[in-house]
Amino acid sequence: MTTTRPRMRRIPLNAAAAVTVALCLFPVYWMVATAFTPARDIQSDSPRLVPRTWTLDHFRTAVGADGFGLFWRNSLLVTLSAVLLSLVVALGSAYAVARMRWKGRRQFMLMVFIAQMAPWESLIIPVYIISRDTGMLDRLPTLTLVYFMMTLPFTVIVLRGFIGTIPPELEESAQVDGCTRLGAFRHIAFPLLAPGLMATSLFGYITAWNEFAYANFLIIKQQDNRTLPVWLSSFQNVFGTDWGATMAASTLFAAPALVVFLLLQRHVTSGFAAGAVKG
Amino acid sequence: MKLRLFAGVSALVVTAGLSACSSSSDASDGSTAIDVWLMRDSVSDQFQKDFVKSFEAAHPDIQVKVQIQEWDGIGEKVTAALASTDAPDVIETGNTQVAQFAQSGGLLDLSDKVGELGGKDWLKGLAEPGAFEGKQYGIPYYAANRVVVYRTDLFEKAGVDPATIRTRDQWTAATRKLNTGGTQGIYLPGQNWYTLAGFVWDEGGDLATESGGKWKGSLDTPEAVRGMEFYKKLQALGRGPKDSDEATPPQADVMAKGKVAQIISSPGGAKTVVENNPALKDKLGFFPIPGKTADVPGAVFTGGSDLVIPTASAKQDAAYTFVKELTGDTWQKKLAVAMSYVPNKTTLSGAVASDPGASAMAVGAAEGHATPNTPGWAAVEAKNPIKDYLTAVLTGGDARKEAAKASEAITTAMNSGT
Amino acid sequence: MTAVREQTAHHPPPSAGRPRRSPGPGPRRPSKDGGPGVWPYVLIAPAVLGTLYLLVHPLVRAVVISLQDFGLRQLILGDARFVGLDNYGTLLGDSRFWEVVRRTFLFMAVNVVLIMVLSTLVALMIERLGRFGRFAVLSSLVLTWAMPVIAATTVFQWLFHSEFGIVNAVLTDLGFTSFDRYAWFAHGPAAFAILVALVVWQSVPFAAITLYSALTTVPVELYESARLDGASGARIFRSITFPVVRPIFLLVFSLEVIWTFKAFVQIWVMTNGGPGDATTILPVYAVQTALSSQRYDLGSAASIVTVVLMSGVLVLYFRQMFRQEDELA
Repeated sequence: MTTTRPRMRRIPLNAAAAVTVALCLFPVYWMVATAFTPARDIQSDSPRLVPRTWTLDHFRTAVGADGFGLFWRNSLLVTLSAVLLSLVVALGSAYAVARMRWKGRRQFMLMVFIAQMAPWESLIIPVYIISRDTGMLDRLPTLTLVYFMMTLPFTVIVLRGFIGTIPPELEESAQVDGCTRLGAFRHIAFPLLAPGLMATSLFGYITAWNEFAYANFLIIKQQDNRTLPVWLSSFQNVFGTDWGATMAASTLFAAPALVVFLLLQRHVTSGFAAGAVKG
Repeated sequence: MKLRLFAGVSALVVTAGLSACSSSSDASDGSTAIDVWLMRDSVSDQFQKDFVKSFEAAHPDIQVKVQIQEWDGIGEKVTAALASTDAPDVIETGNTQVAQFAQSGGLLDLSDKVGELGGKDWLKGLAEPGAFEGKQYGIPYYAANRVVVYRTDLFEKAGVDPATIRTRDQWTAATRKLNTGGTQGIYLPGQNWYTLAGFVWDEGGDLATESGGKWKGSLDTPEAVRGMEFYKKLQALGRGPKDSDEATPPQADVMAKGKVAQIISSPGGAKTVVENNPALKDKLGFFPIPGKTADVPGAVFTGGSDLVIPTASAKQDAAYTFVKELTGDTWQKKLAVAMSYVPNKTTLSGAVASDPGASAMAVGAAEGHATPNTPGWAAVEAKNPIKDYLTAVLTGGDARKEAAKASEAITTAMNSGT
Repeated sequence: MTAVREQTAHHPPPSAGRPRRSPGPGPRRPSKDGGPGVWPYVLIAPAVLGTLYLLVHPLVRAVVISLQDFGLRQLILGDARFVGLDNYGTLLGDSRFWEVVRRTFLFMAVNVVLIMVLSTLVALMIERLGRFGRFAVLSSLVLTWAMPVIAATTVFQWLFHSEFGIVNAVLTDLGFTSFDRYAWFAHGPAAFAILVALVVWQSVPFAAITLYSALTTVPVELYESARLDGASGARIFRSITFPVVRPIFLLVFSLEVIWTFKAFVQIWVMTNGGPGDATTILPVYAVQTALSSQRYDLGSAASIVTVVLMSGVLVLYFRQMFRQEDELA
């Protein structure tokens, strides 16, 4: 293999990558650009790719909205605790399903899949009734539990899939070398699981972070317990929506996901280091 | 490291849970605290402050906590509040929404207070939708209806005197004259169905009619179809999108770009225009939507709000005191001036005589109509076949055929509910 | 190396990998754990208990509601009356409902096929990219994924706006003058296509990232030996890559079936199910019935029927999954 051939072959590949990036980012770019566009240029007769003038007004409006910091804190609390809870709970189940032999395993997986199909937008009324009858309305932990349940089945399914792709022999040989079963799991399987954990925790994070219907329905009188999606809707008024502010808010809103990804990116690469990185 | 993070987060959750519990709405000094829900932008910050201050001074035993609610998802929110065990004590709700909540038994019947509140002078467009099966649940709060917001400078340049526009024919003639070059005579989005409703009422038609307790869509009557034809004629005198309503994009934003001579909006829209483009300050005027003949202004939909008290409220007496004060003459006059609203009583309309927007609105309010007063109507607005109908006709569909289709959809929706 | 070989072999046809699992000294079930008995049950207990309380409980309530006459009044006053299967009768007797069901299947099929094809291609592409390219593509996928649904939906709405949209402007500039002020959302098929584009755009990132993560678990030695044997790219994909990622591929597939079946927010915000019923799929129908007409009973019935239909689609996948489970056991 000479060095020129791969380089030649890389041209269409890189072109495809560029197209992918462009297609992915165009709407995102549009959101960010709108956030910086003065209100009178948004949605004009002659749409422009690059705003004529730039402004920070929308960000000021967004950040200056009532309770911004509080909503931010609430969302972060609810989201992180729901995601971590479901990761911990799911890891146990996924390991049991992927690595152990026991009666009822099929039934358990069937349950998980059916849970994944749960029609959450219609369960809102029963969940409301139950929360009301147990005095859990208007409280953030209620939202945490709901989001935990929304993301749990998915997390179990995906983690089980990932554990399944890790050769059990790797752990077994570690056990032979004197590790305990837990130790073998932690030192051998866990690093390989990093990409899977990343994908699942991002998913859980995005689901919980964006959820509006339950946040709107279950948090009624305690305005201090509102979450960010409710904040996003506060730029609507009788005359329509302040789109500049909404887009600025959405930009700020999406930023944490990127940060989470960048933080986890290291884990992903270290996970690859085991042998997946090709020269 | 992971574990520590997790422990930290759990601790935070626990504290958040605790702080959520510790909020009791009863004040420590034995007075009653009431929760009031008002809609975003229904009152200004200054007005709210002034009112609460003066109210608490007059009623030292009551403390008021006002919460501003968002429009998005408000129907669900009010539903959730009414069904909860700890509901807010006063809620502002759209006048056309009272019926469905009243029917559910979640609202306090205030019929015996109507006399005391001066109910005989209430605006019909607010009072009637606030009543259900002969009982009054919603207390009229404020009203607003659509007028024509126009650019005084463009009218002058085109040589059109707005004072001479009294009939539809004069209106379309003037609009045609304005619709030249880069300027749009009128920016009328295709799905502004409240405006269509006005034209239909002008012709003597209606959106739906009741006979023998059954509601039926009536957009397919000859009168209603004539209203649609006029809408189409007017809409063509500008470049309003045929497939969206006045909120996407907000029509005030479009007018702020400077190339639109008229929009149909409540006068408050003019404020948004100026906010977006300060150069248009002092260049905006108002006139009532013209009728078929010069002696009757165009019919309009009376939008606005009523105040209701949930049956689940624990402090209904204090809540009533609050409602009585806010809907009383003194504060109604101040509210109308501060927010350019039509006050809740016909006898108070003089309060806004000096406000050009509000007085144009008051002319139209005399011909105010409401949407069909039945809980089933909410289902129609949720799906809104009227918007589809408008778009279909404006993009070339046959008005009669589309009208029949839309009427049928309205009938189905109205009878699917309850 | 041998371990790796065995692992990849056991996924596809069951024969090869099996003996490895036979009783023997079985390091996989050390007797010090006290047999296979308690541990798995301890590990799944939190998940099972959580599901019972947080999901099964509300689900049972939903089923009960679907058997009652339950509207806003009953929610507030709580005096619901049982009506047997009346709600299901009303629902299944409605011709509009069946049309919605048909449309839901169409929507699901179109979306899932597009998502799976595109995301597989993207995943394979990422794997072949250099460090920088990989980072760029992964980051933009994550950004796409993280964009709030409301913002994404609004932006798509703007792009296709009849008067102010950039799509019409570009098409008109390119000479397609019939697109001047073309009202996309007034035409059923056009609105449907835009929604498909949006859902695919939002779904590809997850599928592509997951498939890519799965690809990285394919042992690199396998590729090397295959290449030494002179296998072609397509051949390598068919006989090495795909067998390894197949479980995850099927998994992503079934998840996408579920998610597109349940797509709601995008449709609700963008078209509200219109024009007419052209973009009304089951969840939209259920919410229209439940929250707008306040017939929570009919809405519950509709979503229970939805779950049943979805399970019908996935029955094949379940069987496949069970076969795998048996194989593992």
